[in-house]
Amino acid sequence: MVRLKDRYLLVNIVYTDLPTGQKGPVPDLLLYNQPTIGELRPQTILKGIRSQVNALFGDCGSGSVERSLQVKYLSTATSTFILRISRAHYRLVWAALTFMDRLPVKDGRPCVFRVVRVSGTIRKVEEEAIRRAKLLVLAAKDEMAGKASSDALNALFRGDKDSVRNLALVNDDHDDAEMDEGEVSDG
Amino acid sequence: MDNNKKQAASGKAADSKKRKEAPSAATGTKNQNQQGKDSRPPARPQKRVKFQDARNIRSQPSDAALDDGKLDLQKFLHAREFEIKALETSMRKCKSANATRVFQQVPREMRRRTASHNAKRVPKRLRDRAKREMLEDNTPTVEARKRRPRTTRARIRAENAKRLEKLAAKKRKRALQREAEGENKDEPGKTTIQTRAPRPKIRRDTLNEPPKPKSKFKKRQINKTWLPTHLWHAKRATMTEPTKPLWRFAIPLTPTQKCYRPTHRASGQKGTVFWDTSYMSTVRLYGAAGGIEQVLKALGLVQESLWGNRGRKWRNGTRTWSGMVSRQQGSSRRDVGPATIIWNPTPTDETTAPESNTTEQKKTQRQILIRTHPSCFLELFDELVKLAKLQTPQVHVEDLRFEIGSIELTGPGSTETLLAVLQPYHTEERHGQVFSSLVGVTNPASLPKDAVLGFSVKDPRLSYPPKRVDTASKVSDPALLDTLTQWPVEEQVKPYGLFDRDVRFKASSLPPQKSINRRKGANIPGQEIQVTAADPPIPVIVFASRPTAGGQAQGTWTLLAPWKCILPIWYSIVHYPLSTGGNPRLGGLNEQRQIAFEQGTAWFPGDFLGTNAGVVWEMEQRAQRKKAWDRRPKGKRIEWASLDLGAGRKGEIGDGLACDFEHLFGLPKDPSPSSSGNQSTLDVDPNAMDVDPGEEAEAASKLGKPHKDTLPSLATVEQMKKTEFNALVSSANLVRPPPRSIISVNITFVTRGVANACARIYRLPSRPSATTTVPSSEAEVPATDPVAAGIGSLPADLRDQWLQKLPSQKSGSRCSKTTTTHAAPHIPHGVDQGTRKQLMAKSLLSGDPLPYPRPSAANQTDIGGGHPLCPGEEDLIGFVTAGAYSLSEGKGTAVGAISAEKAFDTLQECKSGNNKEGRLCIVRNAGESVGWLARWELV
Repeated sequence: MVRLKDRYLLVNIVYTDLPTGQKGPVPDLLLYNQPTIGELRPQTILKGIRSQVNALFGDCGSGSVERSLQVKYLSTATSTFILRISRAHYRLVWAALTFMDRLPVKDGRPCVFRVVRVSGTIRKVEEEAIRRAKLLVLAAKDEMAGKASSDALNALFRGDKDSVRNLALVNDDHDDAEMDEGEVSDG
Repeated sequence: MDNNKKQAASGKAADSKKRKEAPSAATGTKNQNQQGKDSRPPARPQKRVKFQDARNIRSQPSDAALDDGKLDLQKFLHAREFEIKALETSMRKCKSANATRVFQQVPREMRRRTASHNAKRVPKRLRDRAKREMLEDNTPTVEARKRRPRTTRARIRAENAKRLEKLAAKKRKRALQREAEGENKDEPGKTTIQTRAPRPKIRRDTLNEPPKPKSKFKKRQINKTWLPTHLWHAKRATMTEPTKPLWRFAIPLTPTQKCYRPTHRASGQKGTVFWDTSYMSTVRLYGAAGGIEQVLKALGLVQESLWGNRGRKWRNGTRTWSGMVSRQQGSSRRDVGPATIIWNPTPTDETTAPESNTTEQKKTQRQILIRTHPSCFLELFDELVKLAKLQTPQVHVEDLRFEIGSIELTGPGSTETLLAVLQPYHTEERHGQVFSSLVGVTNPASLPKDAVLGFSVKDPRLSYPPKRVDTASKVSDPALLDTLTQWPVEEQVKPYGLFDRDVRFKASSLPPQKSINRRKGANIPGQEIQVTAADPPIPVIVFASRPTAGGQAQGTWTLLAPWKCILPIWYSIVHYPLSTGGNPRLGGLNEQRQIAFEQGTAWFPGDFLGTNAGVVWEMEQRAQRKKAWDRRPKGKRIEWASLDLGAGRKGEIGDGLACDFEHLFGLPKDPSPSSSGNQSTLDVDPNAMDVDPGEEAEAASKLGKPHKDTLPSLATVEQMKKTEFNALVSSANLVRPPPRSIISVNITFVTRGVANACARIYRLPSRPSATTTVPSSEAEVPATDPVAAGIGSLPADLRDQWLQKLPSQKSGSRCSKTTTTHAAPHIPHGVDQGTRKQLMAKSLLSGDPLPYPRPSAANQTDIGGGHPLCPGEEDLIGFVTAGAYSLSEGKGTAVGAISAEKAFDTLQECKSGNNKEGRLCIVRNAGESVGWLARWELV
């Protein structure tokens, strides 16, 4: 049976500067995981990615991405979104996300789009999002208690070592590897 | 007109609830759709909305995470918590709103073809959901009763049904009227005479008629008899074709479900497989003990052990005897078929007194049951009648085929299944007590060999559904071990009720299901129904048998019970919840053969070519194979004449579709092996069952000796017993076995290979006498030395080539090295890409070029570069009757028959050297040129 095969990308938007109007020192946890402005709609994200893909890969690239790209979930409060893209072309989208350095809105703030999980089913992506949110909650609680360095936060940003090794493998034999599922860490 | 019909139909629906009924809501929508389409939104878009809703994940706006536009830890926390909740709900909703329908969720054995549009085909707990889903999907439902008849036949049937219904209504009305009148008249209408229900007639020394079927089913049983569980089986198993019954019965061949592996598991590791073997024929022999002994001796039960002190238990009725019975044919004896013989015990106090007086003992009236296979029943019955008439005082024979039915169970759970279903009626019965104490037995073969228990049980419907037997607490119970070793069944042994016609008859008139339901309804829920005088005891005999192969294999329980009691027992067995989970598995004829094959034993009649029943079976198989072969297009079937066996040999040896013993023994060929008409008159004689008394004698005489005139020349082949053959081989004086005798063997492949039926069995070719001392160094290079053998003849060192295929020899590795010179070097597993490339390059550059043209034609000295050729026709010794990959062995095994004479010669040759070579053979499938090394053992 012919089946459409997709990949789901879990993407975090990471900020490094303070929003306007914010004063005083802000804990790292809050600094990096700021909410995104409400003007960011699914359509604007798609538009931004498409234009980036077009810039990077030309018409061929944008044409192949055009049809299957879809935003399954967008939460501006937590700066998280889930993308769906056909399995053959998810690397183009990933590359485009890597090259995007500002929000694709008017006068967008500088940010990093961090792909944290690639999966074949949305379920696994959701599970990962829940896991990360739980870690963040733990980290926030630690922050409130006044601990200097939180284990949860470290776990979140460092990523476990296995995934690092996986990533290295993917880079090595890039041509024949179909290692496209699993957690991704760039830390 | 049409409308009227519809109204009538709906009226019918109201008063009589039948099986198939569309969900009422669905019909409701249909009507609504007819009236006005907009009254309800169409189902499909609705469903789509539902799915979209389920897949949507809720999210918060960014303000939720900010406190007046400022970053705040508390808000941050709440935003994450909201996200977790949203994602979790989404996952949950998605799962519940997934695209599977309920009929896809039921386990495989409960799936039904029509479950997608008939809610009644799914289990009850899912029925509501099924209805709702059908409603949502707008599934068209069909009500069988309301469907308009399409064919002429269906229309006639429908009209008939309508007419019959009218008649029935009239009758009912009349009955009501009469009742009303009777009430008015009260007393005089009452009858005072009580009549006895008619007992079925059992005539002695002749065949008996099958039970009269219900008139509804009469037409379907003209040429055959149904098993008591036929209606149950017909829905769940592939039966024999209606026009081609097997052994005058409609027999389940295999369950409709795929079950090869589950059967293997249930029969050996976990669970149980059970069969309705009511088709097995039972004969009762009664008369003076001496006469019975003479009859049995004439049937080939001449062993000293049976009639001496060792056979006392058997003659007392606490053990069975199972084995092949034979009859005198001219000067030799010919096997008839397997039989199990049970003596009816005499009451203990009598047997102890006249123990000393042998003549007195010989005169006592005794009874035995002979249980045999239906394919050899007529032959055996005839022989029995003949022998019984010779005795003075005469011994009588009773045909109890349709009086006694049987169920067989095998597997670790068989004992607990039987224990749950069979509850002794009288608590003081010794055999019943022993049987009840068997809780914890996981293999019927662990009982004393051939143990029999005869007692009477309660109607299993009284404790339906059967409760799980608590086996866990009883495992390795010392009391159980005591029972198994002592086997205290000898004291107070009573005659078995099953031998008694009146007891059987009483048990056959069980109370109807309706009354049992009523009693159950009156009872407190969960409480068992008490046994009353209306519930007769059911006499049963159960015996355990061990597989002939021995070892750890599972034994089999056989339960004999009155024919009419089989069905209630069957229902209880079917629904017994095994302690290991699941229910007992249904088996058919194929499963029986499969289990016998996996245990390495021969199956009657398929693997017994030395009996008439086996010959008939083989002939039928040949006809079937021929038919299947004929049906295939020419390009896709094996062309026997063009088979290349190597060394210039062309064509299959003998008939490729047959175990061609005629060819092996040089017997005259039958005109056409596919003339199934010949066989069908032989085996399936419609007159055999229901004939008028006048014709009976004629029919019986016709049946008595059908085999001599009509049987093919294959019937002159004789079966030799294992013990006889072993005695011949070990004896010093060289008495050769008779020329046309065969022995059954079990074949195991040494390395590779799977045999099918009809595969050819060769012995190892003998070394040419001139060059008896072939140096083994020559044998190492068989593939590259074409000079060693002339064109058109087999290589001289063929035997050594084959022997090199034995894995245990050290030279095997060297041989493989030499033979694979032309092949590309094997690249080891797990090497990286670079090494791989290097190896590849090396092999391309430095390898010896293939000689051109090839030194010899294909298959001249070997097959496909290195595999030895098949031996010549003079080394053919037999054929495989059943073969497959054996799940229990983990490699190919087969059951077959080989010529006793040739096997004997081979063993004699190898006696001086090592004996193992004598039992090596080469098995080649019919139509293939490659043979594989195997080893045979006698069964």
